Amino acid sequence: MKHGKSWLPAHILAWAYAALLVVPLYYLLASAFKTNEQIFASPFSLPTSLSFGNFDTAFESADLGLAVVNSALVTSFSLVLTLGLAIPAAFAIARATGPLGAFVEKVFSLGFLIPTFAALFPTFLLAAATGLFHTRMFMVLFLPATAMPLSVVILVQFMRTIPKEMEEAARMDGASTFAVLRHVYTPMCLPGIATVLLLNFLTFWNEYLYSLVIIGPDPSQRTVQVALPTLKSLTGTDYGVLTAGTVLTLVPVWAVYTVLQKRMQQALVSGAVKM
Amino acid sequence: MTTTMSTPGGTDVRPAASAEPPIRARRQEGGTILAVPALIWYLVFMVGPMIAIFVIAALRWPGMLQPVSFAGFDNVRTVFDDPVLWDAVRNTAVQLAVALPVMIVCAYMLGYYVAQKPPGHRVLRYLLFIPGLISTPAKAMVFYAALSPDGLVNGALKSVGLGSVTDAWLASPSTALACLIVLDIWGGIGFTAVLFAARLGSVPEELGEAAQLDGAGHWRTMWGVHFPVIREYVGVVTMLQFLWTFFGSAQHVLLLTQGGPGSSSTTLSFLVYQKAFIAADLGYSQTVGVLLFLVGLVGLLTIRRAFRQNY
Repeated sequence: MKHGKSWLPAHILAWAYAALLVVPLYYLLASAFKTNEQIFASPFSLPTSLSFGNFDTAFESADLGLAVVNSALVTSFSLVLTLGLAIPAAFAIARATGPLGAFVEKVFSLGFLIPTFAALFPTFLLAAATGLFHTRMFMVLFLPATAMPLSVVILVQFMRTIPKEMEEAARMDGASTFAVLRHVYTPMCLPGIATVLLLNFLTFWNEYLYSLVIIGPDPSQRTVQVALPTLKSLTGTDYGVLTAGTVLTLVPVWAVYTVLQKRMQQALVSGAVKM
Repeated sequence: MTTTMSTPGGTDVRPAASAEPPIRARRQEGGTILAVPALIWYLVFMVGPMIAIFVIAALRWPGMLQPVSFAGFDNVRTVFDDPVLWDAVRNTAVQLAVALPVMIVCAYMLGYYVAQKPPGHRVLRYLLFIPGLISTPAKAMVFYAALSPDGLVNGALKSVGLGSVTDAWLASPSTALACLIVLDIWGGIGFTAVLFAARLGSVPEELGEAAQLDGAGHWRTMWGVHFPVIREYVGVVTMLQFLWTFFGSAQHVLLLTQGGPGSSSTTLSFLVYQKAFIAADLGYSQTVGVLLFLVGLVGLLTIRRAFRQNY
């Protein structure tokens, strides 16, 4: 009788909220296959045909295909760079014993206090000064920096659980520091690396404001998140096309979430725990 | 659940290190050099721009290509004399005062519910996470389509015979800010609830069972037993939501209302954006940026204090 009669209001409220989450998404998905007239006349009805006309229009009018490629490039290069920087840093901090290591760790964890948003304009100046303004390149360099505090803190916690004897054994066999990192630490904290990877994949793919300001409106460079809102004015607000475009930007994240549901939840939860 | 993981490791390492010969210690310290690239990256792209905010706030800089001069505290005076700033302060205060308590209280209760593993909790958990996956522009586009004069909300109102209540929600001064708050709450509850559920899942089950044996109802168990146990975590999540709402509102405002009509939905963080990239008044923008930073810091410390573990 753990969930007895007294739970009825809770059941109702919880599922009512779930419905509030699902209904707009259903509306989004259904509208992607309808025309404006159909959406206005019957917003809740199922689409009558499964034609991909709206998707085609969205693809052409906002260059979404190119935008998806740009997003994929920015996201994947940023992820590689993030791991390339964060894994050695976490390794150094996790095995440091002196005050220097503790200090570096503190510097990284203070990063949570920095609201990146407030620094939007100075970052824009930095992009202009380096000559990388209006390029994807700057985002690839910039995004890993924003991900560094959380990524390092998460990886350090994973690396601290690796027993010291593992490293000592490798040392006996004549392994260098670099080899210890490559052959002992990295394989042993793959779960941590996966967490960092998923967490940052989501942030990088969904990043909007910095991409808007720094990459700007050039269709050959802009990411999918920047391209999406332009559909609003480009199409004279054709809701069918707008929702079709939105559905397209959600597909990659959705696919990853559905396949790696548990792991993705863990990643996001641990992202919040560490902060 | 993760904090417990790190503590044993951390305490294991330290005492062992002090007993080791200095040569070994030096070699280990030498490995710290591996942290340098990450540190440089982080200083150049995050700490540098952060410091620049304070410098630019003291400059008179009326546009990207205009001459720059030192302004001292002139910007502060201009900003505080501007009625738009006070509208933004009021809007931000309303937004935080409504969104944050509603979100945290509802999310805690929902998280508690999910953590009790009621029938269908797996499906529920999957659904609750969805808002956490959707990007800001996508969320805004869904709301834009749903709240438009011919959209989902008005359609639903008409179909239940409330046609007189329909409105151009995002274009009406009385509802624009409310729409932004609803958007925050809509997505925030589900995502936060999963965080709470995850934390509540690691609270020993005996605790709740013992309370129930003592005759406590579910309501008492939820607020009187479990809440104090995860109090600190509630604080962390509240801090996060505070930051996301406080700084993140710029994106929603930009995408949905552009601060309008008038300044009825201008928030502080949107003001920073608007003054920098639309009005090109850079000194003004960064002065608000400094204000934003300070208020954010004070808010964080206040929340942290309020949720400090008190046993």
